Amino acid sequence: MSTRRITIPLRRRFHRSRLAQIGLLFMVWWAGEAAVRLLGFPIPGGIIGMIATYSMLMCRRLSISSLRRGAEWYIGEMLLFFIPAVPAITEHRELFGLIGLKILAVIFAGTVAVMSVTALTVDIFYRWRMRT
Amino acid sequence: MTLPIHWNDPLVQACCWSVLTIGLYLAAKRIYRRWHQWWQMPLAMAPALLIAVVLYFQVSYRDYYQATSWLVALLGPATVAFAVPIYEHRALIRRFWPLLIIGMVAGSATAVLTGWAFSTLLGIDGSLRLSLLPRSMSTPFAMNVSKDIGGISDLTAIFVIITGLLGSLLGEFMMRRLPLRSALARGAMMGVAAHAAGTAKAHEVGAEEGTIAGLLMILVGMVNVVAASIFTVLR
Repeated sequence: MSTRRITIPLRRRFHRSRLAQIGLLFMVWWAGEAAVRLLGFPIPGGIIGMIATYSMLMCRRLSISSLRRGAEWYIGEMLLFFIPAVPAITEHRELFGLIGLKILAVIFAGTVAVMSVTALTVDIFYRWRMRT
Repeated sequence: MTLPIHWNDPLVQACCWSVLTIGLYLAAKRIYRRWHQWWQMPLAMAPALLIAVVLYFQVSYRDYYQATSWLVALLGPATVAFAVPIYEHRALIRRFWPLLIIGMVAGSATAVLTGWAFSTLLGIDGSLRLSLLPRSMSTPFAMNVSKDIGGISDLTAIFVIITGLLGSLLGEFMMRRLPLRSALARGAMMGVAAHAAGTAKAHEVGAEEGTIAGLLMILVGMVNVVAASIFTVLR
């Protein structure tokens, strides 16, 4: 009884605290990175962490409310983490000429093609699936 | 009088560049929310201004990156965060997983084939052409694949960023133009073509779109890493 009296308010605070939940995400990520390094897998540790978190959610070891706030904030602000990587272009002056324009054209045309093919394929199969 | 702060102190630099980067991001986000022009998107406007600052003050990118690389490292825990939307939408995924797999395979194959074909058409060859092939995956996967197939992984990292930028800019336009009925198709399009940048954009459009995009981004990366390592073994 006495332990419940302590753990329940603590849990409630954790469910409300975005910062504590972000801390938990960090711990899981760090553990994933450690596991990857130890086992020598060629995949990022975050993926291992994600699979572990998903499994814990599925077997009810972890409740969704102890991660939801933190995860939603984190995913919402994800674009910020890309920004410092973009000025890397200034290091590659060779890309500023004609070759850069060509590469840009390849990426542009390629991305339009990938988007169209993926979206239309999924959508066609979706309609077919909904009809049957 | 001299201040006890030295501009060359790495800690001071880290603080200044980080504050500038985060500030520009927050400002761009506000401006974009207010006027909604494509060039005001945080991933377009903030880096453009940063590049201008870096070039104007003739700062080397290495110094800038050293000061702000901790922000890029935060992408790692973001992957863990995807467990939450995937868990919340697991019924949808269980119902439609064959569709998602088909879309992912079609999209990934298109990414590699168009990369090869358009490069050849424009006379890009050798390791530069190979570096362009894994551009649609998220950075850690793409760099791995690039190394495996004989590309230059530094350049691939840049191409990945450009792809993410273009993908999230094109996203809204494509969603309006293509006759798409399902959130599934919109999410798959963003996740397969434009990795995490596309996924962030998809989350702005809707929770279902975002979840599918996040899931497919991860799947695309894992499947391609395996495919590339099989390719190297066979070669």
